[in-house]
Amino acid sequence: MNIKINGKIYEAKAGEAIFAVCKKNGIKVPTLCSTKKFQEGVCRICVVEIGGRLVTSCNTKVCEGMEIVTESEKIEKARRINLELLWADHAGKCATCKKNQMCELQNLALEYKIENFHFIPRKGEITGAEELDLIKDNWSRVVVENENPCISRNSELCIECRRCINICPEKKFGFNYRGNSVVVGTPYEKVLDCSFCGKCVEACPTGALTDQNNYLKIVEDLDNLEKFSVAVLDLGIEEKILKAMGKISPEKDLNKLLINLGFEKIVKLGKENLKIEFVKNIKDEYSRTKKINQQDIVVFFISSRIYEKAKRDKNLDYILSEREVARLVRDKEKIKIGKIHPIK
Amino acid sequence: MKDIKIITEYWGKINPLKIEDYINVGGYTALEKFVSKMNPEKAIEEIQKSGLCGRGGAGFPMGDKLGMVAKQTGEKYFICNLEESEPGTYKDRLVVDNNPHLLLEGIIISALSIGAQKAYIYINGNYEKQKEILEIVILQAKEKKYWGENILGSKFSLEIEIFSGAGAYICGEETALINSIEGNRGEPKIRPPFPTSAGLFGCPTAVSNAETISNIPWIISNGGKKYSIIGSKNSPGTKLFLLNGAVAKPGCYEAPTGITVKKLIDDYAGGIKRGKEFWFAQIGGACGKLLLEKELKAKMEFGKECECSLGSGSILVVDKSVNIHDLLISWTDFFRRESCGKCVPCREGTFRLWEIAKRFRDGEISDRDKEAIQDILWTLDNTTFCPLGKFAGTAFRDAVGKGIVKF
Repeated sequence: MNIKINGKIYEAKAGEAIFAVCKKNGIKVPTLCSTKKFQEGVCRICVVEIGGRLVTSCNTKVCEGMEIVTESEKIEKARRINLELLWADHAGKCATCKKNQMCELQNLALEYKIENFHFIPRKGEITGAEELDLIKDNWSRVVVENENPCISRNSELCIECRRCINICPEKKFGFNYRGNSVVVGTPYEKVLDCSFCGKCVEACPTGALTDQNNYLKIVEDLDNLEKFSVAVLDLGIEEKILKAMGKISPEKDLNKLLINLGFEKIVKLGKENLKIEFVKNIKDEYSRTKKINQQDIVVFFISSRIYEKAKRDKNLDYILSEREVARLVRDKEKIKIGKIHPIK
Repeated sequence: MKDIKIITEYWGKINPLKIEDYINVGGYTALEKFVSKMNPEKAIEEIQKSGLCGRGGAGFPMGDKLGMVAKQTGEKYFICNLEESEPGTYKDRLVVDNNPHLLLEGIIISALSIGAQKAYIYINGNYEKQKEILEIVILQAKEKKYWGENILGSKFSLEIEIFSGAGAYICGEETALINSIEGNRGEPKIRPPFPTSAGLFGCPTAVSNAETISNIPWIISNGGKKYSIIGSKNSPGTKLFLLNGAVAKPGCYEAPTGITVKKLIDDYAGGIKRGKEFWFAQIGGACGKLLLEKELKAKMEFGKECECSLGSGSILVVDKSVNIHDLLISWTDFFRRESCGKCVPCREGTFRLWEIAKRFRDGEISDRDKEAIQDILWTLDNTTFCPLGKFAGTAFRDAVGKGIVKF
């Protein structure tokens, strides 16, 4: 069937959503919640106009002769207001956020030039004591969990897009409470206990779900010239790293990037030695062949299998996901162009 | 016309817990007529002829809804929506309190007419007494073979189950109600597919308000044509109106549709309470429009062309002694609390609106807040997922637009 988008005619299949057709034809429609597999239509950012009425493009199916407008004053207004409403509920301390420059919410806010926290009362505007209590109450449901070994959760940064709820194969997440108190959490708010496949971390548009690590220690070890850092690359991780990095660095050669980060040796895993035991033997082997003290070798396993984080021991110091490598590169870039000076 | 009573006719005259009382005044004759002399197609035709439309607020034609489900094959369900948590609305509760068998008879006829194997009564979790009444009544009717296997010796069979919700406002919305029965979180689903094609457990389902269903026995007994001449042309029949606030005799009154608000207040509720001065009236609960004195001639009916949709039928009369700021907070607080939290504009917008309403009570609000009010009301109206968000700002918008509150 034929549909009209912004005055141009496009081919579409029956049962396809407007968003999918736009994406296929390179028409940009922003979204914060829909993924390839799940379209909940909860963020209300992907709205488009059909006959003057706003509809969400991600879950509205096309029909013959539909006339769609993807950019107009009305659409821009709706997107802006909804983005500002999200910002107002987001603990926006971007500079310290793990996902800084890699955050979908931040990117959209930049794109739509969100300048102020229009819906949040300023100091002096809060009039009643009740309201202060309310703010406390509002934050009392915040879940910050670092107890599990692999995934770090912080619901302050959550925008309730439900991607993690939908994508989780074990259905570990869900909405707790209702209305404005809604929090994405585990049943009975227990510590997250799953197989840690990492799909939710990959799907999270903000910094609400991130990889658990000791970032300062990692940077320290990498920068320490007395330590011999070995990066073990998992199969197929290169593309993932470059994808996670996006526009952060113009450098596309992964070896150069990793050496820049402070890795001394890069080992690639092949199809024949995918087992974690192979990685754990590296220390022994290097201490024998290169005559380096075992304590001075630091082994980094770079893999999206974040459940291996639970299996760290003296033979394997760190497991880094592609997102963490991107974060390391991001911080290195900042130092390189002299924006932020490391504290001596 | 004032004396036509369909639902309230035997209120207070019969013992609601005695099935014999109801049978003595002609109860269950409609069901007998349906079983012996009619077939489902004929019954739906009568209901379509009557022009009966949904009394929950949306006003969707009941006959069309039943017809859509009846057309489909396979497993089907009928759900009686007794969620009713609109502030100031208690008509369905009164129906159960005063004549529960009338409701039950309506449920049985409607469910059989669409060919449903099972009917659910989705009752508000706070209606504990009403749930007990229904449990008693259902047992009584089963003993008399009004439902169960082979109803009254015919080939019809039906199962009835009471399902108690947890008292969430959003569960009055049909897709959220279906989610709740299925055991999911009570939040609306995307439409289409509409429940009439894929509802409860993926089967075609008709969800109807309890008051709508209570009209069915009368229509079956007296014919659809007779019903269609009562009240307004577009949405015929009678309606339970609830008059609350500054009226002399607040309460529930049955009146034909198309009646003006003025007439309801003056003729039924005895006018404004002595010593009070009329300010405005809110039609249809917390999500309803506000009418000023000059607009009281508005006719109370459903439909796209009507001046003021009557919603759930509750009319709150507000006099000038009321502090409008308290009312604003009460409206916004209600929607902040009852929003399910699924979509952004409703979850965040209702909350911010409530914050601003509170600041407004305590004094002047800033220009930024005034702008924020406009923005939130706009996004609620245009971008929310389900009707709850759309209606959450109605009263606030009218209060600002009609000059009831001044910045």
